[in-house]
Amino acid sequence: MPERKRDFTRREFVAAGAGAAALASAGCGTAVVPLKPAEVTIVRAPAYDQSLYDTMRRLVAEQAPDVRGRTVVLKPNLVEFEPGSSINTHPLLVHATFEAFRARGANVRIAEGPGHRRNTLDLADAAGYFKTVPNFEDVFTDLNLDDVSRVRMERQVSGLSKLYLPHTALGADLLVSMAKMKTHHWVGATLSLKNLFGTFPGGVYGWPKNPLHWAGIEECIADLHVTLPRQFAIVDGIVGMEGNGPIQGTPKAAGVIVAGRDPVAVDATACRIMRIDPLRVRYLHLCASDEGRILERNILQRGEAIAAVATPFQLIPLFQSLRMEGAA
Amino acid sequence: MAIDNLLQRQNPDGGWPYRRGGSWVEPTVYAVLALLAEGETPAARRGLAWLRSARRSDGGWAPRAEVAESTWVTALVALLPPEYLGEKLHHGAISWLLGSEGRESSTLYRVREWLLGNPPTPDQQFPGWPWIAGTAAWVGPTSLAILALQKNQQLRPSAAAQERIDKGQAFLLLRTCQGGGWNHGGINALGYPSQAYPETTGMALAALRGARSPKIEESLAAARRFLGDCRSADALNWLRLGLRAHGQLPTEYCPPADIVYRTVPETSLDLVLTATGWGREIFGA
Repeated sequence: MPERKRDFTRREFVAAGAGAAALASAGCGTAVVPLKPAEVTIVRAPAYDQSLYDTMRRLVAEQAPDVRGRTVVLKPNLVEFEPGSSINTHPLLVHATFEAFRARGANVRIAEGPGHRRNTLDLADAAGYFKTVPNFEDVFTDLNLDDVSRVRMERQVSGLSKLYLPHTALGADLLVSMAKMKTHHWVGATLSLKNLFGTFPGGVYGWPKNPLHWAGIEECIADLHVTLPRQFAIVDGIVGMEGNGPIQGTPKAAGVIVAGRDPVAVDATACRIMRIDPLRVRYLHLCASDEGRILERNILQRGEAIAAVATPFQLIPLFQSLRMEGAA
Repeated sequence: MAIDNLLQRQNPDGGWPYRRGGSWVEPTVYAVLALLAEGETPAARRGLAWLRSARRSDGGWAPRAEVAESTWVTALVALLPPEYLGEKLHHGAISWLLGSEGRESSTLYRVREWLLGNPPTPDQQFPGWPWIAGTAAWVGPTSLAILALQKNQQLRPSAAAQERIDKGQAFLLLRTCQGGGWNHGGINALGYPSQAYPETTGMALAALRGARSPKIEESLAAARRFLGDCRSADALNWLRLGLRAHGQLPTEYCPPADIVYRTVPETSLDLVLTATGWGREIFGA
């Protein structure tokens, strides 16, 4: 049975960081942040094919916590459907992950609350989820219409007056954010942390979830990261999206899956693969509380090296400043 | 059979979930409308009692009990006939709607924009309705609010309500997608046109009953295309309502037999649409 405990909690991290800063300011030498490196795995996956089942089985076995007898909720990115586009997390990857967690003894569900379309199951059908995931309706929860509770935030970053979240997300022993590797025309890049937006219930916040825009998108992402229970992150970069993402961009084949227990570290790594400087992505700072968690030296990369798989994602002019130095 | 489906899904408290779970205002309103269209029943009375008990002190309704503010669902409650909901409660719902508008058209916001030197945008002159107070107006809640006010105008006409209907319709016309139809209300993203959705196209057309514009003609053509292609029960319901509001739904039209009605609103709205007499009048048809 997994413990509801991180290897290194945020509170511990903040305390350690503050202590180190105090030492540095007191002239006690160079501050050394005692940060246990977060592990992030990068695996090559050239296509959406049957080999994903083996890939995900190995990746989950190596990276995910013990989930035997626990409830694991997979939260894909399901936004809109257009043939030939790469908007949504691919259903084959979701099913391969579903089977991988199930093989480890978890009770697995899939859940999502799209931000624009109200008929979630119709959207899932169009996006291929019904065809790919057997008995999809039985294992799926529409987070927009799920039962909700008001949640008190431990550390509120946004100006949101009241936070309501769906029971399926709140009750998960492990919430697996399964994002698509995409650029985003408001926040630069949308990865596992931004994907948490789909847990805000449309039944309360509307379609689109406009109160979050007024309260600050980046700040609301941080609220969710702080509030939601134990998270695991998987980014579908097999075919991502560049340019005017997250809906109207162009498919971009990066041929990778990025995964790990720390969403900040996973997203920072995905950014580096996209040749986006994660230190310039504001919501990563808000989620991390300190840039230490974003720094490459504090992330233990497994599998492929970033340099071996990096491929620049086109950025709209507004976000050219996010481009990593030295990248094309 | 669909009525049995609704009755089985009713919660012990009298309300309905969307699919399963606790009671929400939206599915409860649609279920009650569907049951009333078939004649008043004990289940409908229990649903109405749940709705009455959920009314908030400001005259509006929250989406469900755990939510501590009145929102767009008040428009749905206002679609219920006053004689069933209660005259006073219905009047309160209409008053609440008349006091609600998108943040971008509020005086405070407009003054702020003026002070910042930002020129006024066309839709600031035509207030629509938001999902939640203090945020922008969108196509869905604006359409539902117009439908509720139009229905109320038949019983208690008022100049103030007519003005909001007219401005709400103007708001919708400003949000028409390129090529006709509507999505949630964002007609472009960074200058790229966004595509219309079938369900919101149907909703907006239903709310634009009686309005005239080339954009409506274009949108009716889009709705007819959607009606032929679409496989969503929710979207087909609203397309039927929207086309019927303009006399454009083919009289022989029936949804494809294999369409799956998964949620209480989908099942209920289909029942309302196929009902005769009073049921047809709910949306002013």
